Amino acid sequence: MKLFSRGCESRQAAYLVGADRLGARERIELEAHAASCAECADALRNGRPVDVALRGAFAPLRERRTMIAPGRVRLAVGPRSAAATNSWLRAPRFFGRLAEVSVMVGVTLFAVTTSLDPSPQPSSLTPTQSVVREYFRAQPPLGDIDYVRWLRLVKADASSTVSDSTRLPMGGRFDYDPVEYATGPGATPR
Amino acid sequence: MKLDARRDPAAGDTRNDHDLVYAARDGDTIAFDALFYRYRDGIFRLGLAITKDPSAAEEIVVDTFARAHRALARLEPDASLRPWLYRVAVNLSYNRRPRKGLVLSSLDDAVDEAVANEDGSPSHVAEQAELRRFVLAAVDQLGPKHRLVVMLHYLNGLNLTEIAEVVDCPVGTVKSRLHYALRRLRTHLAAHPELGIEPSRPLIATALRAPKPIAAPVPLEGE
Repeated sequence: MKLFSRGCESRQAAYLVGADRLGARERIELEAHAASCAECADALRNGRPVDVALRGAFAPLRERRTMIAPGRVRLAVGPRSAAATNSWLRAPRFFGRLAEVSVMVGVTLFAVTTSLDPSPQPSSLTPTQSVVREYFRAQPPLGDIDYVRWLRLVKADASSTVSDSTRLPMGGRFDYDPVEYATGPGATPR
Repeated sequence: MKLDARRDPAAGDTRNDHDLVYAARDGDTIAFDALFYRYRDGIFRLGLAITKDPSAAEEIVVDTFARAHRALARLEPDASLRPWLYRVAVNLSYNRRPRKGLVLSSLDDAVDEAVANEDGSPSHVAEQAELRRFVLAAVDQLGPKHRLVVMLHYLNGLNLTEIAEVVDCPVGTVKSRLHYALRRLRTHLAAHPELGIEPSRPLIATALRAPKPIAAPVPLEGE
């Protein structure tokens, strides 16, 4: 079995005396503890030279400087980000883009709507079917001349419609006066 | 910094980071330049310590501030922007670390340059350079987490709370890492006689040598 000893808990504080900013009271307490603890006394005694050696070794490096100008950062960031900070500078670009998009949408809608076939729409001007109006239209006009015209038109319509249905006698008579054809020998032209 | 202040008024800006960030957010380029001059050297040194390549370290400085510029609208620094910038720089530096087998100029070269400017006898300067190189070589042998904590504290001067913000872990973890790093460094540095560091003894040996607390003798039964 292997045992790992944790050692004194104050040893870390003893090593970090140089790095950690201990108050005067804490330091006195640590030194008082180190007087009775060999481990902490050893850490306190040897931690300081290590700290001094490190500070001495890094001292010339701390003086090292660079001559980079902030212009290199601006160059790396680019000009666009400078404009991006101010929203007003982006307004012309935004409105230009908005105009482009509106024109594009308008042209597309125009092309789509004109390419479609006009569908037959029920017109509101078309008169609706009315039984009363049809009845009065079927009645003969009251004027003499109009009546004659109407009669001729009605007769022409009736003659144009040829019905192939079987004519049946109604009450011993035909439903209209039969045309008499003069076919006999006594028939003479007028 | 003085040279920059003469050339650029932004370098001498005395406003705190919070004010500078809000001014930069409103488009004040001088405020952003002031932040740049304030932290560019520290970020450069950190990038140099991790990548060991000066040109890569300069690119890290530029990239870090480019990210800060893009994130200006989201940044809410309490008092200092330093931990946020250093965290970005550390991430960028580890992404640009040299591949294995690629030898770049190390920190030792920087030490040589710095030591060459020092006054004193040539032998003393050489001794100092050798000592620094020895210490930095010991730091290089640490693991990445422990090395980062050491560099942030001893190179960039961050306190333990700031380091905790940079590495995004509790202060106790930072203390533990630094403690471990110092113990390891003590073991390495004890090999150099001029540093005057005793080699670390095994824990059992130190425990045996520990002065026993004075306690009253326990009376035996029957006495």
